[in-house]
Amino acid sequence: MTSQVPDLWPPSAQEVVFLLLGVVALGSALLVVTTRQLVHAALWLVVCFGALAGGYLVLTAEFVAWVQVLIYVGAIVVLLLFGIMLTRAPIGRSAGLDSGNRVTAATVAVGTAAVLVTVVVQGFATAYTPLEPGGGAAATLGASIFRSWVLPFEALSVLLLAALIGAIVLSRTDIRPANPAADAGGPAAPTTPPHPPDPAPPPADGSGATAGETGSGRVSRDGG
Amino acid sequence: MNGTIPAPTIEYALLAPMLVVFGAAIIGVLVEAFAPRYLRSAIHKPLTLLTLAGAFVITIWQARTGIPTTPSAMGAVAVDGPALFIWGTILVLAFVSVLLINDEGHFVASAAAVPGSAEEERALTEGATHTEVYPLVLFAVGGMLLFPAANDLLAMFVALEVMSLPLYLLCGLARRRRLLSQEAAVKYFLLGAFSSAFFLYGTALLYGYAGSVDLAKINTALGSVGGQDTLLYIGVAMLGVGLLFKIGAAPFQAWKPDVYQGSPTPITALMASGTLVAAFGALLRVFWVALGGLEWSWTPIMWGVAILTMVVGAILAITQTDIKRMLAYSSIAHGGFLLIGVVALGNNQQQNASALSALLFYLVAYGFTTVGAFAVVTTVRDAGGEAWHLSRWAGLGKRRPLVAVVFSLFLLAFAGIPLTSGFFGKYAVFQAAVAAGATPLVVVGVVSSAIAAFFYVRVIVLMFFSDPAADGPSVVIPGGTWAVGAVAVLATVVLGVFPQPVLDLAHTAAQSLFVR
Amino acid sequence: MNPTTGPTLVDFGHDPLWLSIIKAVFIFVVLMLGVLFGVWFERKLISRMQHRYGPNRAGKFGLLQSVADGLKMGLKEDIMPRTVDKVVYLLAPVIIAVPAFLAFSVMPFGPMVSIFGVETPLQLTDLPVAVLLVLAMASIGVYGIVLAGWGSRSPYAILGGLRSSAQVVSYEIAMGLSFVAVFLAAGTLSTSEIVAKQAGGGTWDVFGLEIPQPSWYAISLLPSFLIYAITMLGETNRVPFDLPEGEGELVGGFHTEYSSSLKFAMFMLAEYVNVFTVSGVAITLFLGGWRAPWPISIWEGANTGWWPMLWFFIKLVLVFAFFVWVRASLPRVRYDQLMAFGWKVLIPLNLAWILLYATLKALRVPESNKAFILTLGAIIVVGGLAIWFRFDTLLQRRREAKAAQIEEEFEQLREEPEAGGFPVPPLDLPHYHGVLPAGQASTAVKEVTSGSN
Repeated sequence: MTSQVPDLWPPSAQEVVFLLLGVVALGSALLVVTTRQLVHAALWLVVCFGALAGGYLVLTAEFVAWVQVLIYVGAIVVLLLFGIMLTRAPIGRSAGLDSGNRVTAATVAVGTAAVLVTVVVQGFATAYTPLEPGGGAAATLGASIFRSWVLPFEALSVLLLAALIGAIVLSRTDIRPANPAADAGGPAAPTTPPHPPDPAPPPADGSGATAGETGSGRVSRDGG
Repeated sequence: MNGTIPAPTIEYALLAPMLVVFGAAIIGVLVEAFAPRYLRSAIHKPLTLLTLAGAFVITIWQARTGIPTTPSAMGAVAVDGPALFIWGTILVLAFVSVLLINDEGHFVASAAAVPGSAEEERALTEGATHTEVYPLVLFAVGGMLLFPAANDLLAMFVALEVMSLPLYLLCGLARRRRLLSQEAAVKYFLLGAFSSAFFLYGTALLYGYAGSVDLAKINTALGSVGGQDTLLYIGVAMLGVGLLFKIGAAPFQAWKPDVYQGSPTPITALMASGTLVAAFGALLRVFWVALGGLEWSWTPIMWGVAILTMVVGAILAITQTDIKRMLAYSSIAHGGFLLIGVVALGNNQQQNASALSALLFYLVAYGFTTVGAFAVVTTVRDAGGEAWHLSRWAGLGKRRPLVAVVFSLFLLAFAGIPLTSGFFGKYAVFQAAVAAGATPLVVVGVVSSAIAAFFYVRVIVLMFFSDPAADGPSVVIPGGTWAVGAVAVLATVVLGVFPQPVLDLAHTAAQSLFVR
Repeated sequence: MNPTTGPTLVDFGHDPLWLSIIKAVFIFVVLMLGVLFGVWFERKLISRMQHRYGPNRAGKFGLLQSVADGLKMGLKEDIMPRTVDKVVYLLAPVIIAVPAFLAFSVMPFGPMVSIFGVETPLQLTDLPVAVLLVLAMASIGVYGIVLAGWGSRSPYAILGGLRSSAQVVSYEIAMGLSFVAVFLAAGTLSTSEIVAKQAGGGTWDVFGLEIPQPSWYAISLLPSFLIYAITMLGETNRVPFDLPEGEGELVGGFHTEYSSSLKFAMFMLAEYVNVFTVSGVAITLFLGGWRAPWPISIWEGANTGWWPMLWFFIKLVLVFAFFVWVRASLPRVRYDQLMAFGWKVLIPLNLAWILLYATLKALRVPESNKAFILTLGAIIVVGGLAIWFRFDTLLQRRREAKAAQIEEEFEQLREEPEAGGFPVPPLDLPHYHGVLPAGQASTAVKEVTSGSN
């Protein structure tokens, strides 16, 4: 691994590009946390991810690079923006983006960075790996995932499935009763006053919104 | 072009217990998706119980047919003696916890509804249920099985997430005291994510050091790689933080009381037993297999953590007035006692095996007792839910003597009184530690046990020698809880009076030590 | 180079710099001219479909109409709304246009040719994961739409932007999945090699019978192709999926605030280039790429030299004509239908098809355990059918229940009009029939001669 180390000076074109991408990634990452505009922070995050993807490209990890663009830039941050816009979509500076823990956070961040940089420089200052084109293509990666790492990979799919179920549990509002006739009963019965009985059972289908509207409609009908 | 990737070798028979659990979880998801709502609960309950029982039977069968000596599934999983013993323990404990989960009234009607809102009220009156709990529990149990058996750090990290993520969710599904439950879920999730990040960071640094995430290869690298000690030490520290968090060792114990209190009590029982067992299995594997050669570096720190954990757990438990929080602190203290066993790593094979077998026995004994204790907690109920405040437990011995006696038995087992399982657990661990030269630790352990005994006995005194309140809580014991209580009492007494078979079993399992 | 199959990955990366620049400039110029031609072609074709003449004033056949429009856009006043986020507002048209052009860099136009003495493939570059680059560029293009919507600070624009991002992200999943079968069939993600794989069909050995396989993936992977054809309409926000700029409801959608200036021209440009890109991908992945279709391919020289570029552009025009044809034929779908179609129809169908195809593929691996695969496949098929039947009856029951409920509510409303909680007059008030208010006349209905008074 540490054989045939070429001279560090003059730097090759790849090294220069990699360095520049690193500067871009660092700068945009700083801007993500310092900008006072929410949407701009998300956009700087895009730049940061893009620069990382560029870094992967320079290191010949093509598949990872494009997947990084596809997943992080193309899906995750878009969803983030989507969330921001669905809720508030603020233009201009938001005062709430400034935290009182600025100094602590900065200290921790600088400390972490310092430790990491020291460790990596100390450990890998002389390490050298020649880059081989095509080393990061889909074939190599696929062979690795579906051979050496097949069990963790499958376990990850299980994890995602569990997360999906969890998201459904936490967000679905149209949970219908398991058995409308039988109440929970026993000491676990609700202590809240019983709900006024509906004149008709709610429809057996449809979304929660529909059921809610019909329900409230019926209630007001009783009143009117 | 196609077919150039040789198929991986997967020992399906060896991994069967885990695969059965994951498979059943996926079937559970399909049931959720396609079975009509009124049938789901009726399908889930037997499915989950049969799965856990079946996986347990397979585990036993494997242990009898012979224990492999090499890692399986392309080196990702090591199904060795300790792993099989831990699998069996987790499966039984999960089975018992599922019996608790089966009883009505623990889980929220509609998790998406705002606490106290009209929607929640409506869901309650309509008797809606979240049957997704069962597949989630199975996912978590699958993760618990993979976690202590993972043979490389990557598989271990994935297992950690598979185990934790469903638990984060389940924590937030308590039927009563919704806000507390949601707070517990968020706290557990945030701190858990933080600790996972530490674990991952440590893994990355260790990979940088050793050039591999395989536990055995890391151990080999300890002797051959030089000049990168900073990387190694920081990596080990971060990995340790991630693992100790899951155990709830001080100073990473802060989540435990809140989460144990807010979660639905059956889930608390599952976490206090299954997760703890799994996490100790993983901790042992990492520190003994991967970092065994680094023993001189991490042992002193582990000493400190063990002492701190025991002392913090025992002393803070005294100040608690909430039964669930008290049990949580008791769990922290027990984590400390178990860490004594981790430190008791000796120089020879025999010493290690005896320390390991002591730990395994302790885990079994503690797991049963803690599930039983939480089962009792579910039975004592007020109008607003379970009666958690200790003052509500006053005089319980006069009103419901059997429940009080059973709970007292569990508390005595926690304290380590002879003729209960806790005594032999502690005795075995302390003995191993003394043999390894960790006598000061044992002294601290005994002192903490004494402090802990104080508050256990205080509860017993409260139950038997105080006058019952006029509007005292009612005691309701559904069928599943009955069974759980009976099993736990049986385990506690049998392991306390006649521990030899299980000790032998643990000894046999530990004899081969961890596969490298 | 293999003369029968065309260039592969090893042929790339040897171009001198000047050649790469020539190719890049060529692609740029072709795309710019293509947009001018495309706008004219679309207007002309759709007019003919609607029995009109279309543009016919500027130049012969109105050919210069697009040029005139472009000039007009350049000369118009550039209006900058006062409250917009200026940086984002200006950046959005650029972000949407640039990736559209970039994706064309991996599009193969033809085989190896000699340009000024250098043997080179007619393609700017190729990567082992070239198709991913196309997908990645499409996903970056979304930012242009989202940011245009947000930066304009206008409710219409932001609604358009949101719709568009949700739509494009959803349809991108189905699109990516429809590529999976192609990857499985071709065993590569490189565009030039996928084209090469479609050179000859080969035969399919089924129980000793040799069935010749069609060479185009559009035929051998028909489900994938059909799904791709739908998603490419969704991905480019074209009719019938042009919700983001549905003028009936959102004025102009995300580009409402970009009044006719060069910035608006950028959006137009991007839209057409995106259409060309997805058409190019359709041709490359499914329609044999630059290779000549069957009757022509009998002639030996059809797939050599510069000819293939002609086939490619003919195919491009035909696919583009398909876009226009769809636009002339289909009405715009409703937004919830659009999303439901993407998530509940296209993606599951696609997954099922991939499963099926992978099973077939697995059966053809020599050392595969055929009995096991077939058993597993049978279980999945039976399970799937069982679920489908169950849902079929369930949905039927739900539909009937819904209809009955609606009928019941109508019944109720007819009897007692205020029942819905709204103060509506009864449907059958007497004065509708010319009866005077109560107290003045009987309620008997009688014929009136004019109106209702």
